[in-house]
Amino acid sequence: MADALDSNTLPQATLTPPRRSRISAIWLIPLLAAAVAIGIAVNRILNEGPTISILFQSAEGVEANKTIIKYKDVKIGQVTAVELHQNYSKVMVTARIDKHAEGLMVEDAKFWVVQPQVTLSGVSGLSTLLSGNYIGFEMGKSSKPQRHFTGLKVAPVIPIDQPGREFELTASDLGSVSVGSPLYFRRLQVGQVMTYQLAPDGNSVSISVFVNAPFDHFVSAQTRFWNASGVDVSLGDGGLDVRTQSLVSLLVGGIAFATPSSAVEPAPATADTTFVLYADRATAMKQPETISRHYVLYFTESLRGLTVGAPVTLFGLPAGEVADVGIDIDPATTEVRGRVEIVAYPERLVSDMHTEQSSSAQAMVQNPEQSHAFFQRLVMDRGLRAQLRSGSLLTGQLFVAFDFFPDAPKAEVDWGPKMPVIPTVPGTVTNLEDKVSDILAKVDKIPFETIGSEVAQTLLALNEAIKDIDKAVNRIDKGVIPELKPAISAVRSAMMSADRVLKNTDATLLGKDAPGQLELRDALQEVSRAARSLRVLTDYLERNPSSLIRGKNGEKP
Amino acid sequence: MAAALTAAQAGLIGCEHCGLLVRAASADEPGHCPRCGSPLESRRRQSIERTWALVIAAAICYIPANLLPVLGTTTLGSTEYDTIMGGVVFLYTSGSWPLALIVLIASVMVPLGKLIALGYLLISVQRRSSSSNRERTRLYRMVEFIGRWSMLDVFVDTFTVALVQLSPLMAVSPGPGVMFFAAVVVLTMIAATTFDPRLIWDAGGEPESRIG
Ligand SMILES: [Zn+2]
Repeated sequence: MADALDSNTLPQATLTPPRRSRISAIWLIPLLAAAVAIGIAVNRILNEGPTISILFQSAEGVEANKTIIKYKDVKIGQVTAVELHQNYSKVMVTARIDKHAEGLMVEDAKFWVVQPQVTLSGVSGLSTLLSGNYIGFEMGKSSKPQRHFTGLKVAPVIPIDQPGREFELTASDLGSVSVGSPLYFRRLQVGQVMTYQLAPDGNSVSISVFVNAPFDHFVSAQTRFWNASGVDVSLGDGGLDVRTQSLVSLLVGGIAFATPSSAVEPAPATADTTFVLYADRATAMKQPETISRHYVLYFTESLRGLTVGAPVTLFGLPAGEVADVGIDIDPATTEVRGRVEIVAYPERLVSDMHTEQSSSAQAMVQNPEQSHAFFQRLVMDRGLRAQLRSGSLLTGQLFVAFDFFPDAPKAEVDWGPKMPVIPTVPGTVTNLEDKVSDILAKVDKIPFETIGSEVAQTLLALNEAIKDIDKAVNRIDKGVIPELKPAISAVRSAMMSADRVLKNTDATLLGKDAPGQLELRDALQEVSRAARSLRVLTDYLERNPSSLIRGKNGEKP
Repeated sequence: MAAALTAAQAGLIGCEHCGLLVRAASADEPGHCPRCGSPLESRRRQSIERTWALVIAAAICYIPANLLPVLGTTTLGSTEYDTIMGGVVFLYTSGSWPLALIVLIASVMVPLGKLIALGYLLISVQRRSSSSNRERTRLYRMVEFIGRWSMLDVFVDTFTVALVQLSPLMAVSPGPGVMFFAAVVVLTMIAATTFDPRLIWDAGGEPESRIG
């Protein structure tokens, strides 16, 4: 082959000076690749946050590599493993925390599972319906790092960075107050009950309440707290007095507070002040009496309806109360008469006086001799007498009223051996039971128990439905869910209208046709309808999961 | 296999650009083509060194390509990142093992196979192995042919990212692994063209001083 060619006829290559060979620039490519890969690896290692473990009683809806940990709605970590722990009684969740959140993993940090929840005080975690459950996080105050935590069953009531203050209340019993019960100031919700516990001696219950800023400013040393649960219907001499805070407090309990207008020092209370939780507003707002005087009244009429504690009034203003009711027999004349012992609080009247005079009046009250003499003059010259009057429209209760009867026969205060006896005049007790029974019937008609159980049942059904949806949504991973949206917004609007009605109802509860009740019923029906339709949708989705993408058969998606 | 006389052994060089067959000026310095002036090369310059560099670079990129996520899926607020192997495992566990196999072959085995094949060719050439030259040439042709088709995952990724943008309900975004993956494919393709298959046949004949 080779000799067939005449190599001399082939063109000759031209020669140029040789180039110096050196290490090829091509090696820059692997160097660059290595540099980038190492850079990424180093970056990963440097940004690797701590791995923590959280022990839960149950970790519903928590999945490895899917569930995230959120703080203030910002992702701070991801669950890497979920496994049973401690004799299979608990769930151990392992999570990798992002580097930027490493400093949050301190001793008293809190974790809990967030899932959709319908409670009497509101709907929470609705967003988890679509995104799946996540683990909520609340930072602690400690600075000691920790890697092993115990999860909470429910989210903490008050976020740790919520401004405000905590106060301690003591009560004889818990009543219907529970964790999360609202705290009202002028019917405005300004806080919540955080915890409660039995006192070590078992004689009282101590309740921790949290008052949000800036309302904590209104809690002074003289502030009174009372149990605002339920309807406070009092039939005093002032007529029918119905006080409720809200229907929510009727159902879940609540506490209200106020500072008496006579409080002299409205400085904010210190955080460690302990308050007494009174049973109701009237008890709470009662003034502590420093000066009390006992008097005896004799009546010849029936004392039926006059009880210990019944008010004693002067010019219609509260001036004292009945301390004892009994009978008295005069041995000489064998005359039987009613004996009523009253306690008068002269300071109460002084506090009602005009400011210019109150200081001299106060001085007179402080001096018993002077006040006795003044009292005697009122009785003798002006005709001051005690009289029994019908106070309560409902029960025919009596109270003692002081009034001026200039035409009454002359009498004077008998400074008896023990207590002064004040002259009386016969009362004019009129029976107003007809009027009263009307009001009573109306109050009777309010179906508090039915309302309560209806609300509870509906909420329960709704919660179940929401859980079903939650499961369905989780199962249809990454699905596109066009049908679910209107259903969920229908539930949300129904629940919002129920909530609005719940808030408005107490104002109209005692109206003529009680429209609040009707509205409430409508709203509750709306909520249960929405819950029902959600359930139907869930069932349908379970049978036809593909309809999420294609829509129902025969329908355009 | 009997070694045929090569052009290099006969002192001849074909111009790679205009195809003119010329006599080399000398064995060490082939010189320039008298017709078009291009530098003449009996064998591609620094073929083995360049190919090694590219193969090593591809091998480095192969590690993050498989460790880093290639696809981020955002569904209603939560984003999940999937690696290639994660995708294979997902496809397998969800029952579609044929798809899992395709992805495994196209995305994991083929790039790895190319790297191993190129490495084997390079080593065998450097060791002047003269056995199974024909098979090695066939292997080389396969590596060269497969090159452009092993982009499968990058293709799928690109299509998915372009098509699935139903934000806010669902969105798909590429992960950092894709870049490395593309780098592996591109680097192995360049490495395959840089490798001079004529070297395979040189080992059978006279020792070659121009290798490298
Ligand atoms: Zn030429």
